[in-house]
Amino acid sequence: MSVGDILSILMFVAFIALIFTGFPVAWILGGLAVLFTAFGIIAEVDFAVPLAVNWDYTALTVDRVWDVMNNWVLVALPMFIFMGLMLDRSGVARRLMNDFVRLFGGIRGGMAITVVLIGVLLAASTGIIGASVVLLALLGLPQMLERGYEPTLAAGTVCAVGTLGILIPPSIMLVLMADRMAMSVGDLFLGALFPGLLLGSLFVIYILGYAYLKPSAAPVPDDTEPVNMALLLDVLVAILAPAGLIIAVLGSIFFGIATPTEAAGVGAFGATLLAWFNGQLSLPVVKSVLQETSRTTAYIFAIFIGATAYSLVLRGLGGDALIADILHGLPFSPTGVVIAILFFVFILGFFLDWIEITLIVLPLVSPVVMSLGFDLVWFTVLFAVCLQTSFLTPPVGFAIFYMKGVAPPEMSARTIYRGVIPFILLQLIGLICIFLWQDIVLWLPSQAY
Amino acid sequence: MTVPLPKNTPETDPYPHTRFSRWVDTVLVSLGHITAWIWLLLLVVIVVNVTLRYLFSEGRIELEELQWHLYTFGFLTAISYAYSVDAHIRVDVLRERWSLTTRAWIELYGIVLLLLPFVILVLWASVPFVVYSYETGEISEAPGGLPYRFLIKLILPVGFTLLFLGAIARLSRVMTYLFFRHDR
Amino acid sequence: RDHDRSTAVVAETSPRSSIYWRVPVAFNTNLPGLGENVLRIAADSDAISDGRIRFEVFEPGMLIPPFSITEGVRDGKIKAGYTWLGYDQGRIPATPLVSAVPFGMEPWEFTAWYYEDEGQALTEALYEPHFVHPILCGIVGPETAGWFREPVTSLSDLEGLKIRFAGLGGRVLQELGASVTMIPGGEIFQALEKGAIDATEYSMPAVDQKLGFDRIASFNYFPGWHQTFTASYLVVNLSTWRALHPADQALIDTVCTAGVIRNLSRGESLQGEVLQGFPAKGVSPRKLSVEILEQLAAVTEQVLIEEAANDEDFDRIWESQKRFLRSYRVWKDHAYLPRDFGQ
Ligand code: NA
Ligand code: NA
Repeated sequence: MSVGDILSILMFVAFIALIFTGFPVAWILGGLAVLFTAFGIIAEVDFAVPLAVNWDYTALTVDRVWDVMNNWVLVALPMFIFMGLMLDRSGVARRLMNDFVRLFGGIRGGMAITVVLIGVLLAASTGIIGASVVLLALLGLPQMLERGYEPTLAAGTVCAVGTLGILIPPSIMLVLMADRMAMSVGDLFLGALFPGLLLGSLFVIYILGYAYLKPSAAPVPDDTEPVNMALLLDVLVAILAPAGLIIAVLGSIFFGIATPTEAAGVGAFGATLLAWFNGQLSLPVVKSVLQETSRTTAYIFAIFIGATAYSLVLRGLGGDALIADILHGLPFSPTGVVIAILFFVFILGFFLDWIEITLIVLPLVSPVVMSLGFDLVWFTVLFAVCLQTSFLTPPVGFAIFYMKGVAPPEMSARTIYRGVIPFILLQLIGLICIFLWQDIVLWLPSQAY
Repeated sequence: MTVPLPKNTPETDPYPHTRFSRWVDTVLVSLGHITAWIWLLLLVVIVVNVTLRYLFSEGRIELEELQWHLYTFGFLTAISYAYSVDAHIRVDVLRERWSLTTRAWIELYGIVLLLLPFVILVLWASVPFVVYSYETGEISEAPGGLPYRFLIKLILPVGFTLLFLGAIARLSRVMTYLFFRHDR
Repeated sequence: RDHDRSTAVVAETSPRSSIYWRVPVAFNTNLPGLGENVLRIAADSDAISDGRIRFEVFEPGMLIPPFSITEGVRDGKIKAGYTWLGYDQGRIPATPLVSAVPFGMEPWEFTAWYYEDEGQALTEALYEPHFVHPILCGIVGPETAGWFREPVTSLSDLEGLKIRFAGLGGRVLQELGASVTMIPGGEIFQALEKGAIDATEYSMPAVDQKLGFDRIASFNYFPGWHQTFTASYLVVNLSTWRALHPADQALIDTVCTAGVIRNLSRGESLQGEVLQGFPAKGVSPRKLSVEILEQLAAVTEQVLIEEAANDEDFDRIWESQKRFLRSYRVWKDHAYLPRDFGQ
């Protein structure tokens, strides 16, 4: 094992150890980049180990940050956060949830199922996890907790459904994958749709089952009205406006009025209008929404910046090559290779974020998979589901981090970690289904165009 | 129906303020409250751009570029603001059980060994980044794009200078708590 | 792996030290023609130097974003990169002339100007103040003139059209009333499919097909007036280059020169088959009429004159190209069969 390999592994281990100190994740990532550059230089100068990692190399961080700064697609992120906060602060979200509860209140777990449904709709309009997790947490978390839901169930639901945003198109992850693989984005988008819906359905089934087995986890309100025509009409009218908003976002993409990026701005505008119609648009509300948009956007981008420095140095030390070596050493049959790759990606997902895994592993394994005769769209979607799961898997689960930022202070990271475990298992079940029935992915693209 | 007003982010670690830290935090928070309005501006620009393009078939590359200029300005200045109100993500699985003193030591080492070196690296590396852009009179590479690119690039060192100040302010508080207060 | 990056170990057995450069690229290496050339450059250097000169190729964005490659080389953050110089247009306005220019030269005209006339000296001089040494290292033929959802029969069809178009060609369309945007490569498909844009250009047919444009826009126009050639360069940090042993400089120069002809050959060999396959997919490859081309050329001339008035380097290089073409044209008109002969 080379010195570069050892430094890579140390850098990996250091990150995982340090996040448990409770120091901000973003600065741990950035700081380790600097520290390990120094170690690399020491190894090179004092021990004549040629690593070619030095301060000039690590200065590339700035060019990589510039890539985030002029990134047209990421403009959507603060806008989706603004939209979520505006719906929350103006009381629109609360009212929407209340209406749904009147409808589904009699069903055990109805509230959580509502969150799943809204989450799937949101996923179809945003493609950025940070945005959808935050938005969903604002919409659903306080309401579920107020009604006495088990905090782990509430947190797990929000986190898991929030990650669907990166699987169900439009999705920034699928865009990057298509770009890296020189594939058509359209195929990937269509291919990922049913797997996304499948996972959403699994979540619903789980919530129903869990609430049935453990009624105290998802209490039914005492004042449930009987569901009749009048109530149905009432609720329909009430959800008209917020539903209209979601339709506006989706529709503006669908009819080509706005690009997926701009749709976020249109949605934020719509949310502001809704707040205004409801007479809730006051200066304090606007200020509070704007300031919290700033804070939330800031903590997400700080992690982006730290992570880009970290991965640059890890790459320089040879971390990528190390992963490649491990992959090349897999001694399996064709199907075995695919399973091994997916398992490997799933495990990597515990520690690395999706961008790194996409950049490092995907180009490496795709020729192998193709040469074995598997469909590349099918494989890429499986890969995408593994990466979507990586947002949930501790210790480095970004959905958990983002959720932590907006959850009530009394909800600890431990609660969230515990809450996501059943959903990780559901993700695995979904993954197995997609693996066994390729048509879940391939049917839709084969019908289109 | 009552409007739930903003939760003031409660400071989990009430280290004593120094005169310097109070000044810095006041500046950063006020600045953060001002620059937060950028998101409203961004929203307006997007809506105007979409309207122009869809209703009047007029695509304005300036407006498209203005979108990411505003966004960059917004998130880079917000990072120091978020730092001052301690909004950056921490994993507190173990932390929540530790004493204030333990946390203060972690904060001290973290700022000195991780945060400050990183901030200094970015500041150092962003000097040629901005200067080169200024010297060459860099403009957008897109036809009809925005000029004066060095101004938007300058936001990176500006944002990180503010973060540097915030980090020093927090460091002064932690050190005061650890070394100069004997009543703790 | 540490051994791979060694600059000292080989020195003991060889008179010169070994070279290890990280080489980030602007285009994915799996893009046919356009992107794959750099892999040959790396393999050839390795083979000819017996493993002493090693370029490790990094896909776009793995080290540095494509638009920043020459900047990274300038500052010595990376020793070298393989890129399309037109990305520097915002800082160095003359770069389109040596990377891709509307109604510009054909690939071998360009290499004739580059290698045998003033091209190489002017390009190197253009980049010297930026501490970058550019080496012509790859070239491909024309791109498509774009993918449209509706047929283009006159220039007025371009008015109000929402189109994604890069570089000086984009400026020309803008002058003609099109609304030109520069959305990133990955978003093009979706934007075109959903109608957020009406048309787009990207690269040669083999590349565009890989991105799926042929399935959502049925009118694929030619000739590629806006990019008659696309040149790629190996850009090397200037002091790194000057510090190289002359033999190593010669080796890299030779590998790149070979890369140019291999790249051109590969690019030319791929496209016909792709075009032949289009009708089966409901795509009709079409040609812009001569009138339209003449009008486009007139506007291009205006744009180039404006650029030349604003930038000395642009003016100097453009003059040199025009001067070369004046004498070359005499030969071209005499020696070559007319394009439409025998059809
Ligand atoms: Na999505
Ligand atoms: Na994870």
